[in-house]
Amino acid sequence: MPFLRKLAFNLFTWSLVLLIAFPLFWMIVTSLKPQTELFRIPPTWLPETVTFEHYARLLFDTPFLLYFRNSVVLATTTTIFVVLLGTVGAYSLVRFKYRGRDTLAMLVLFTYLLPSVVLIIPLYLMMVELGLSNTLTSLVLAHTTFALPYALWLLRSFMEGVPEDLESAALVDGATRLGAFKDVILPQLLPGIISTALFTFILSWNEYLYALVLVNSDSARPLTTGVMTMLISAFNIEWSLLMAASVMMSLPLIIVFAFLQSYLTRGFGAGGVKG
Amino acid sequence: MSSTVIAAPLLERRYARLGALLIAPTIVVFSLVIVYPLLAAIYLSVFSIYTPTLEGEFVGIDNYIQLFTEPAFWQSLWTTLIWTVGTLSLQIVFGVGLALLLHQNLWFRSLARSLVLFPYFVSTVVAVLVWRWLFNDLYGAVNHGLMQLGITDMPVDWLGSMPNAMIGVILVGAWKYFPFVVIAVLARLQTIPDHLYEAAKIDGAGPISRFWDVTLPQLRSVLVVIILLRAIWDFKEFDLIFLLTGGGPVTSTQTLPLLVYQEAFALNNMGQAAAYSVGMMLVMLVFMLIYIRRTRRES
Repeated sequence: MPFLRKLAFNLFTWSLVLLIAFPLFWMIVTSLKPQTELFRIPPTWLPETVTFEHYARLLFDTPFLLYFRNSVVLATTTTIFVVLLGTVGAYSLVRFKYRGRDTLAMLVLFTYLLPSVVLIIPLYLMMVELGLSNTLTSLVLAHTTFALPYALWLLRSFMEGVPEDLESAALVDGATRLGAFKDVILPQLLPGIISTALFTFILSWNEYLYALVLVNSDSARPLTTGVMTMLISAFNIEWSLLMAASVMMSLPLIIVFAFLQSYLTRGFGAGGVKG
Repeated sequence: MSSTVIAAPLLERRYARLGALLIAPTIVVFSLVIVYPLLAAIYLSVFSIYTPTLEGEFVGIDNYIQLFTEPAFWQSLWTTLIWTVGTLSLQIVFGVGLALLLHQNLWFRSLARSLVLFPYFVSTVVAVLVWRWLFNDLYGAVNHGLMQLGITDMPVDWLGSMPNAMIGVILVGAWKYFPFVVIAVLARLQTIPDHLYEAAKIDGAGPISRFWDVTLPQLRSVLVVIILLRAIWDFKEFDLIFLLTGGGPVTSTQTLPLLVYQEAFALNNMGQAAAYSVGMMLVMLVFMLIYIRRTRRES
């Protein structure tokens, strides 16, 4: 009897989980089907013939690789910039005392919740004025508006988790504050930094609105808007091609999921959902 | 003796200076890319600016008068509320439900957790493309599945007519964002002490009353935080709705962020759009302040 109950529970829960994962399964299946099999009624649940032609077309006949490169450059630059600033900033916010510190922390939290559409119009004007429109630089700056508050807030709570007496002990031993930061705090903070970097990378990789408004040429277009232009410019929508693009676009995420998932769940605990 | 008395404040002051120096780059970047644009948005909202030429003139509070007297803003606000309440309730119900299931002893539990977590991290563009294909009226898997189950006998037009478009958007939003609730609730569930459940068991409480009397009160505080955060994030969601329906059919799924975008970059009224965005922020401010006050109280 307990076994039957266990079986029923597992069947129930797993069918829910598979239902949730179905769109992702369907994305992969569609990307492997030949065009003719796509418009079969009823649809085939598994591809009858597996083909990689859509992936080949995506890589060689479309600007996909250019978009991919832009996205890699954009997300990597944003991540490095924001994590560097954020680590030093969080150290200051947690371990130093000066006037305005708590106000500053609350300002960070406030901007963390701020909607992008409020900033987009002035940012657009600013980029036009600076002659930066249609460049990846403009997108890095724009992504900073949501990535920096996010990274600061995350790193701040990771920093609070580093025991203070370790630093004090190093200071008693004659280390300078910055020396103690480098030798004692940074190694302790490393998992938090990795978590923050992964989150920031994913945020920047997935961002759409700023790319839509600030970039209007293929040379600086990231994957999000790039793949959508493939949808709009096509005369009849090539779903297999788009699904292949979706799979390729999710590749970095799949890698993170396979090897670094614990860092993602750790970031959740620190990211303001304590309670 | 006396030297340490003097040295301590001196050291303290030096530390304060170092701390200020370390935060300085962050403050500079913050001011340039966030504070300045935020103030500029408010400034721009009293101008009338034609987007293609970026030329404009001072119009005072005309944009705000327009906001108050024309139905556009209020209609969008109403749409935003329907979307937020709809998708948020589904996220909470499914999120808590699935967290409770995944907290149990499930076969291949970590695989199940990864699969559930994935929609949250996947790009909105990917999510939308897959769902638009699933919702395709002739060849989509959703309509086929519904017809095979006998729920409908005609293909449903999911994104092109009302109220289906709103239902579709709410469903996809729930699918994409409920994992956030799952993870946050799971983390909290793991900290509920076992002895509370044992005590309830001894008192003769069944699984359902154990949920109401033990689990739910323990989840209360984390749920408040989740609801506040998700309400703020759902309220300002742009990508998902814009890419799924573009605000259509006509304007029936046009939430406030879409209204701002439309006004600025399709109708070319940047000043009016800035006024809308300020109005939207004022509505959100209530929730933002509650959340900030709550966080401050905890720390």
